Amino acid sequence: MFQSGRLMIALAAIGVLMSAGAGAQDYPTKPITLIVPWPAGGSTDISMRAIADSASKILGQPITIDNKAGGSGTVGPATMVASAKPDGYTIAQIPITVFRLPLMQEVSWDPAKDFSYIIHLTGYTFGVTTSAESQFKTWKDVVDYAKANPGKVTYATPGAGTSLHIGMEQIAALAGIKLTQVPFKGGAETNAAVLGQHTMLQADSTGWRPLVDAGKLRLLMVWTSARSPNFPDVPTLKELGYPMVYDSPFGIAGPKGMDPKIVAKLHDAFKKALDDPAVVTTLAKFDMVPNYKNTEDYKKFVTEVTNSELKVIETLGLAKKKN
Amino acid sequence: METLLNVGQGFGVALLPINLLYCFIGVFIGTLVGVLPGIGPISAMSLLLPITLSGTPESGIIMMAGIYYGSMYGGSTTSILVNIPGEAASVVTCIDGHQMAKQGRAGPALGISALGSFIAGTFALVALMLVAPSLASVAIAFGPAEYFSLMVLGLVVLTFLTQGSMAKALLMACIGIVLGLVGLDSITAQPRLTFGRLELIDGIGLVPVVMGLFGVAEVLINTEQIIKRDVINAKITHLLPNKADWKASAGPIGRGTILGFFLGILPGGGSVISSFASYALEKRLSKTPERFGNGAIEGVAGPEAANNAAAGGAFIPLMTLGIPPNVVMALLLGAFIVHGVQPGPLMITQNPGLFWGIVASMYIGNAMLLVLNLPLIGMWVQLLKLPYNILFPLIILFTIIGVYCSSNNVFDVYVMIAFGLIGYFMRKLGYEPAPLVLAFVLGPMLENNLRKSLILSQGDLFTFVERPISAVCLAIAVVLLVGPLLPSLRKKRELVALDEGV
Repeated sequence: MFQSGRLMIALAAIGVLMSAGAGAQDYPTKPITLIVPWPAGGSTDISMRAIADSASKILGQPITIDNKAGGSGTVGPATMVASAKPDGYTIAQIPITVFRLPLMQEVSWDPAKDFSYIIHLTGYTFGVTTSAESQFKTWKDVVDYAKANPGKVTYATPGAGTSLHIGMEQIAALAGIKLTQVPFKGGAETNAAVLGQHTMLQADSTGWRPLVDAGKLRLLMVWTSARSPNFPDVPTLKELGYPMVYDSPFGIAGPKGMDPKIVAKLHDAFKKALDDPAVVTTLAKFDMVPNYKNTEDYKKFVTEVTNSELKVIETLGLAKKKN
Repeated sequence: METLLNVGQGFGVALLPINLLYCFIGVFIGTLVGVLPGIGPISAMSLLLPITLSGTPESGIIMMAGIYYGSMYGGSTTSILVNIPGEAASVVTCIDGHQMAKQGRAGPALGISALGSFIAGTFALVALMLVAPSLASVAIAFGPAEYFSLMVLGLVVLTFLTQGSMAKALLMACIGIVLGLVGLDSITAQPRLTFGRLELIDGIGLVPVVMGLFGVAEVLINTEQIIKRDVINAKITHLLPNKADWKASAGPIGRGTILGFFLGILPGGGSVISSFASYALEKRLSKTPERFGNGAIEGVAGPEAANNAAAGGAFIPLMTLGIPPNVVMALLLGAFIVHGVQPGPLMITQNPGLFWGIVASMYIGNAMLLVLNLPLIGMWVQLLKLPYNILFPLIILFTIIGVYCSSNNVFDVYVMIAFGLIGYFMRKLGYEPAPLVLAFVLGPMLENNLRKSLILSQGDLFTFVERPISAVCLAIAVVLLVGPLLPSLRKKRELVALDEGV
């Protein structure tokens, strides 16, 4: 009797422990919502769908994509921190504008405090092109021309304040030249602008690829850390003497205060998803370069990127006015 | 000869039973989303994109394309029947289409819009096959300066849409432009007129504005006049256009097709601009412009042909340059890429089966749409016999669902209700919503291109007259503005002014 009584107590104790940990242990027990702050059908949406599909098989629960586009990709994450519980059932894709916009204007969220960062996933391939009929054969030609004609070199971007705009201004500052930005609305318009030689250059993500393949546009440089396998002859920023990588990287996060065990589970599932051949092919289609960082490194990265962005934005005169 | 061989190959692909099925599903869904107000081709295509991933690229893209041109057919149905445009390109169809329905001529209005769409769609396809590669250069010849002048021309043309006071129409256009400015400034990304609201950062959505001003306002106005029951009492004479209708419509369909096709090639709002440009052109050419706004069949035939031809023209920059001229084409570009096909200068040579297969499927799809839509006319007309106490709640229900679906945002539903109230008072006081909506669409493009051209020209205003395409657009705009003041044309203007007094 005595013996079995102790066993009962021990079992009961284990039971209590089990039930206390049930949230994190059994997670996930219902479908997870992943907010993608871009319209459905775009490159980010399609690659996130592929990653989520693979991760959901590992987690054993479906992941539903909720497209909440707007505010350069900030409306979705902002809505999440304002309304979702940190239970791991609502997470969001975090584009770099979530860190950049608060430096430029008043916003409702604080990137340092309001998120539980989970995993850093991938980034885009950006590049600078010019029309095949242009006088510019290499990036050096552009720099030489711009030195002789300050402000005369025009470049098309998919929008003011995007990584393309800020990257080009940083390059110009380092090269000691002055360029003129002409902001368009996305890759379709910048392709048309540079193809019709309305602007001399185009800075955009790989929407230019078919036109470069067809010989209608000339790719002058890419902004990734290593050369693109699709364009092995095109130099990177680093090779041209600009110590930068600009790939507008993104990861996923939940609202603040998530259980570290749940964060770890999500991290492991999404990390495995990055190695899934289906995900690898999808990312390659959009020239996205996997850029894995674990939870700790991602947190550090957020601080770093906020500091470096602040410097750039201040030099460009885009920072929000302090009261 | 080579073209014929290619077309043959294309039909070989398009006539495969599986592709025929996908084509039918596409045009069927397209007709549905076109008819349902608010749920446009964009939301339908983005929802269905993942479903197409499993099949071959041909069948997936054939279905997506089917949704797009199918919705162009369906979009006019609600414009005519209940004065709610199914999508932005059908705003103009409301003006005369709904008047025709009120006079018991809903059948001919629906019929001419389906047949006009078929003729225009078929012509656009022939043109797409024969001249696609050579026309691609037209799309890129338009830089910011050219777009600015085209938008100026567009805004001048707007004034032709009005039946009432010119001053009221211009006021509406100004309000439309200001509403279009809400949100992030497209050049410097500074928020304007957002009053610190996160929801307004992206600007006011077109769908809630259109649904409010047309749909909700129409219901509010009608509940007031419920005793009249004009729609139901009007005797429905015949379902298809008669000989006189055809005679009146032939010219507008032909002109609308050509106009629509060329404007469709240009990136940005091609189908919207082409539909009201066609309306303005027909009103200008008509011997009896006073009939416009009171149920003129030309005012339905021309714009409907124009927006369908524009849908065909829009494929040219996508297929030949990989440049999508509108959001729907951007989604289609996404579909191509998902299937590992990159639209662009190399696509026609690298994937001839796919390119010609899609073109051939659009012929088949257009024929299917005609077969699908003509018998439906009888059913739609019956819908008008529904008692108002069932019809009106249904309209409100569908507009709310449509607005919510287009953005997944309750805020947009509030915006729609607000614009519904505004639209109600506008009608009571004799202000028309069409100029407001069109200026709302054109205004941001006008501002953006003005500022871009000035950045490019380093502040030199002469850039607009030095560039030939831009100069021609501005010259036409001036002629249109000054023209009515000349004695020979004054007669027409007086006729137009007459119905102000009626």
